[in-house]
Amino acid sequence: MAIVSARIMLFATLRKKYGVKDLNVECDGTLFDLIEKASKILGESFFDDVYDKKQGKVRENIIFMINGRNIKDLEEKIEIKDKDVIAIFPPIAGG
Amino acid sequence: MSNGYMRKILRVDLSVGTLNIEPTSEDIAKKYLGGKGYAVYLLYQYLKEYESKGISPADINPLGSENVLIFANGPGTGVPGFPSSGRYHVMALKSPLTGSIGSANSGGEWGPFLKFSGFDAVIVEGVSKKPVYIAIVNGEAELRNASDLWGKNVFDTCRILKKKVGGENTSVACEGPAGENSAHMACIVNDEHRAAGRTGLGAVMGSKKLKAIVVSGSGKVPLAKPDKFKEISKRCLDAMRKNAVTGEGLPTYGTSILINIINTAGGLPYKNWQTGVNPNAEKISGETLAETYLTNRRACWGCTIGCGRVTSVKSGSFQVLSSEGPEYESVGALGSSTGVKELDAVVKANHYCDELGLDSITMGSTIAAAMELNERGYIPKEDLQGLDLKFGNAAALVECIWRTAYKAGFGKYLALGSKKLCEIYGHPELSMSVKGLEMPAYDPRAIKGIGLNYATANRGGCHVTGYTVVPEILGIPEKIDPLKPEGKAKWVKIFQDFTCVVNSTVNCLFTTFALSAKDYAELLSAVTGWNLTENDILRIGERIYNLERVILNKYGFDGKDDTLPRRLLKEAMPEGPAKGHIVELEKMKDEYYRLRGWINGVPTLEKLKELEIEI
Ligand code: SF4
Repeated sequence: MAIVSARIMLFATLRKKYGVKDLNVECDGTLFDLIEKASKILGESFFDDVYDKKQGKVRENIIFMINGRNIKDLEEKIEIKDKDVIAIFPPIAGG
Repeated sequence: MSNGYMRKILRVDLSVGTLNIEPTSEDIAKKYLGGKGYAVYLLYQYLKEYESKGISPADINPLGSENVLIFANGPGTGVPGFPSSGRYHVMALKSPLTGSIGSANSGGEWGPFLKFSGFDAVIVEGVSKKPVYIAIVNGEAELRNASDLWGKNVFDTCRILKKKVGGENTSVACEGPAGENSAHMACIVNDEHRAAGRTGLGAVMGSKKLKAIVVSGSGKVPLAKPDKFKEISKRCLDAMRKNAVTGEGLPTYGTSILINIINTAGGLPYKNWQTGVNPNAEKISGETLAETYLTNRRACWGCTIGCGRVTSVKSGSFQVLSSEGPEYESVGALGSSTGVKELDAVVKANHYCDELGLDSITMGSTIAAAMELNERGYIPKEDLQGLDLKFGNAAALVECIWRTAYKAGFGKYLALGSKKLCEIYGHPELSMSVKGLEMPAYDPRAIKGIGLNYATANRGGCHVTGYTVVPEILGIPEKIDPLKPEGKAKWVKIFQDFTCVVNSTVNCLFTTFALSAKDYAELLSAVTGWNLTENDILRIGERIYNLERVILNKYGFDGKDDTLPRRLLKEAMPEGPAKGHIVELEKMKDEYYRLRGWINGVPTLEKLKELEIEI
């Protein structure tokens, strides 16, 4: 599989916890690999914060967006492409 | 009369100087709960009475003696353990900004303290000859001279009156210079920084020469089933503490944490809604606020969430010793929509809005509209008198605010709100408003459901009438695609109805991130002793929404007014994830009217009958 480079942006408590706003991550184009590679940089707890191993998917209350689209709204197979911007938010709200 | 109520309403006629105490009606309360619902019912009776006297709705001058202002709390307000119940609702027969029903809601302490002072509501009629304030202390009310307070700002008025009236649980709701000068977006502010912001009710108060209402008392709200209530309250408060949003997200970051996510979704209005992507969003975000000017947080009375921000700007040109906010909507309007990227200027602008008594949403949106008018060359230079109204000009933003409050120079045009401002300069399409009320910071080209809500919201461009951003962006209680118009009507209707219940309870809408209509039914049943089901309370909400709509119809608003600014319907979003999108409003609206049982924005007689609304 071709290696792609994506930019991950962290917000709110995730940003505070890991002390970074954004980072570039190289992965094989799958969501799982992206998160795993990011956790190699940020620390193992990042994987658990974002991914639910039991369910085999991104945690229910994490808002995970690829180029501004929430992955829950994407009908096509999720694939990370070169230069994609990934925004990850913990549960937040306002109004 | 049932429990949950103080069983008394104060009716003040400022023209003759009388204060009368009337019983709260159990029949009305059972049908309309309290707060907004009760006020809507009373306002409709005023309209009917005026019509019987030959005064048509169109004849009502929003700044005249015939306008009526109603402050109301509900059965949940001020009950210890009732989730986030430190709020009140205030309504007017006619808003100076929109020409239709006026409606606003505020937190702080004033709502519960009105209850502790012994009243469920205060109705204000007429116009006083000289400035007055109403003092309500432990069941007694009187009119007092406020000549020495006229001209004073909100902070001074709150401080002086709180000291003067003294006593336990004392709180002041007042208008500031903007209200005295009839700026159409003047708001009512209580406890210094909590605003009943929308629809210009501060101007109504100012026109009545009513500077403030001070409430104070040590009353307790009677409960029907205290033990049962304790049990349900504990369950609900636990759920709120455990909920990721109400237990952590809102307390930690407040509402402006939304800036980055809404911008990422392509829906953060930038430069008067020319696009939904702000390249400087990060600079004005909740994360940046937390790292820079945030000093503390503050909760409204009895609230376990505590979303309020305490801020301070210690250096630079926009210093503020101590302030509260800005909230997400204030940052959206005063910052993003004006293109201002200096967060300290936004904090200062927001602080001025509180100090002078201005609605930050309409204020920011009106300045943004003026900036676009100016950049397109539609405002003659002489009108601006040296004001450099360009997008991104932080100093101009701050200057516009005090100019508006005092109607100084160009401020006299700004004080009319964006709709009238844009009409004066020949380009009404540049006002980002619905029914005369400026829309908050969500571009519906990127979040379709909120577009249907803006179009159909009774008070005009309002997000909290039916806040579908919750499922569309935040995915609560389930995720729906913001870019699809399909299926949005049912969400809009249910959110609008449920919000009426919240605003009539009266407590905070943010509880609904964690609590359901069923929780509300159980809480309210234990407080009042009525056996309310989830369906019962949603039906009450629907009834309130429909009666409010009947009032709108009387002012001549119907389906033609349930619309959006041309920009959102015709100009495709130029960039971001919603690139190429417009709002497919008609499609959503048809489905919405069908679900509501309305024809062209008007409830059918069958619908009114079904909801037991007597007209
Ligand atoms: S959540 Fe915020 S606005 Fe609502 S009652 Fe609590 S502090 Fe006030």
